[in-house]
Amino acid sequence: MAEYLPIFTMLVLATLFAGLSFFGSAMLGPKKPTRAKEAPYECGIVPRSEPAERFPVRFYLVAMIFVIFDIEIIFLYPWAVIFRQLDLFGLVEMIVFALAVFVSFVYLISNGALDWGPVKRMRPAATAPSRTSDSTVRRIGRAEEAA
Amino acid sequence: MNGLPMNGLPMNGLLVAQAGQPEGLAPLELPNVEYSAMAPHLILIGGALVLLVWVAMVRRRPPWAWAAFTVAVGLASLGASWLMWLDVGRNGPRTAVADAVVVDGYSIFFMVLVSVIVVLGALMGESFLKREDIRGPEFYVLMLLSSSGAMFMASANDLVITFLGLEILSIALYVLAGLDNRRMESREAAIKYFVLGAFSSAVFLYGVALVYGATGSTNLGEIVGYLQSSVAPANGVLLAGVALLLVGFGFKVAAVPFHTWTPDVYQGAPSPVTGFMAAGAKAAGFAGLLRVFFATFDTLKLDWQPIVWVLAVATLLVGSVLAIVQEDIKRVLAYSSISHAGFVLIGLQAANEKGLAGSLYYLLTYAFMVLGSFTVVTLVGRKGDARHDLDAYRGLSARRPALALAFTVLLLAQAGIPFTTGFLAKFYVISAAVEGRSYSLALIGMLSSVVAAFFYLRITVLMYMSTDEEEAEEARTEPLAIPRSMAVVLAVSVAFTVAFGLLPAPVIDFARDATLLI
Repeated sequence: MAEYLPIFTMLVLATLFAGLSFFGSAMLGPKKPTRAKEAPYECGIVPRSEPAERFPVRFYLVAMIFVIFDIEIIFLYPWAVIFRQLDLFGLVEMIVFALAVFVSFVYLISNGALDWGPVKRMRPAATAPSRTSDSTVRRIGRAEEAA
Repeated sequence: MNGLPMNGLPMNGLLVAQAGQPEGLAPLELPNVEYSAMAPHLILIGGALVLLVWVAMVRRRPPWAWAAFTVAVGLASLGASWLMWLDVGRNGPRTAVADAVVVDGYSIFFMVLVSVIVVLGALMGESFLKREDIRGPEFYVLMLLSSSGAMFMASANDLVITFLGLEILSIALYVLAGLDNRRMESREAAIKYFVLGAFSSAVFLYGVALVYGATGSTNLGEIVGYLQSSVAPANGVLLAGVALLLVGFGFKVAAVPFHTWTPDVYQGAPSPVTGFMAAGAKAAGFAGLLRVFFATFDTLKLDWQPIVWVLAVATLLVGSVLAIVQEDIKRVLAYSSISHAGFVLIGLQAANEKGLAGSLYYLLTYAFMVLGSFTVVTLVGRKGDARHDLDAYRGLSARRPALALAFTVLLLAQAGIPFTTGFLAKFYVISAAVEGRSYSLALIGMLSSVVAAFFYLRITVLMYMSTDEEEAEEARTEPLAIPRSMAVVLAVSVAFTVAFGLLPAPVIDFARDATLLI
């Protein structure tokens, strides 16, 4: 187990450093809060109202597209470094990989990930078929009676 | 750590970039990628990609065509598996792609099994998706991808590949569990499965790391070589790694005490997905588990056998006892699937050839029984996939005699009634336990199957009980339609269960010939 001693020492040192930093900054740092300092962003336009809590799901789809190409780049970089040594084999493999990645992009586009116009209903609203506006009114009514 | 190869570690065929070399030097030594060794896997993945492109490109979308395409892909991979089986029979087993995958009877057995599950699963899903108005090809695509992961788990010759297979299988399954996202239960099942599954994957990965630390390789063949050459191979790090691997696999196959997700996820997931999960994910989990423990850690047998003994006993008892008190058919089948996992663990605990063949036979026959059972559950669940209380089965025989008869056969087979494959499967693993001198485990297995028989019979009796007026009226107003694709799944599973229960030789020979390359 002697080989693991440096790792253990490192673990202890890291924990100590992190703990001491927190403790030190809490003890030593002066605390003079102002409104500007407590704002979420210290520069830019001063916010007038709370930001919306619910974002359209479209933003997440764009984030998904970003993740897809990010992952592709992660694989492309090391490949590019030894591209010549990998020769034709590497090229073919990378084309296959890029195609597979591209299919997921095509799928996202076909599902309307980049349509920013008015919402097209691709399928009925995401509620159970048994739920109608009547049932919702009844449910809310019951909840209010109970309250 | 002793035995760590400090130099000349071949990195299992990965490309080793030669540091410090000037530009334009000799090409790297590339692994010989033998695509034919992974033909069924690649067919499934290719099928999934083609399906995605097809759906994205073609505006008119006839959903039955996607199911037909998935069935065709499943049949193609079945054919490819069969060709590989013949090839292995002629030329013997081998490893391929720099020892990362192995082509032996065992891996091809699971390729055949998974292909069959894909075909039946697609047929099961088609009318369900139409009934529940779930549009899009996601069910088929995810099922194909998940199945390719299952195949990779069976044919992996490297713990890293096993892990990759596990993740390909699981991530697709998490999404499948939440496919019916209009139902709260489905979303709940997906989140529960995802959180616990991610946790168990981490445990599995930690086990891989410890095994690598102790033996110096993640390649199963090299681990075997190390264990055979070293004088005292069993040290703390290695045993801890083996234990963590067992936990990771135990979660996937729902062995007690790693089973807690099973009832909730089985209940919440859409019924065809539950059927696919019970047949496919369980088979894949056991495919990895059996290979790693039978072939690789065989020399540590005396260390893991007692642990597997305890797991098997707990799994058998918890599964069959808790199934009795359930009031929801999907929970009953979930606990029954836990108890079936216990029987397969009996085969593992025996740690002999008969145990391996028995486990494989069990998984194959169970896949048909459980797919058929969940077809019935899907049908009786009606629109909304919600009627799963046992009362929904009261008097089913009066309304749909053929459906009730099929379900009776499948339930009795799961109980282990003679002249069905279920009986032979139980008989096979228990006799393997007797051969391995685990008499007490064999006895507990038999007792738990007696307990389990109670709840299978309870459902059967319910189906043949008469209904009261009100229910009969309801049955008339809402007739239970059986779509043709569902009927095919039912017919195939019942025919398999009965025919090979009467003439067991071909399937038993198939399981016995599915040997591991060690």
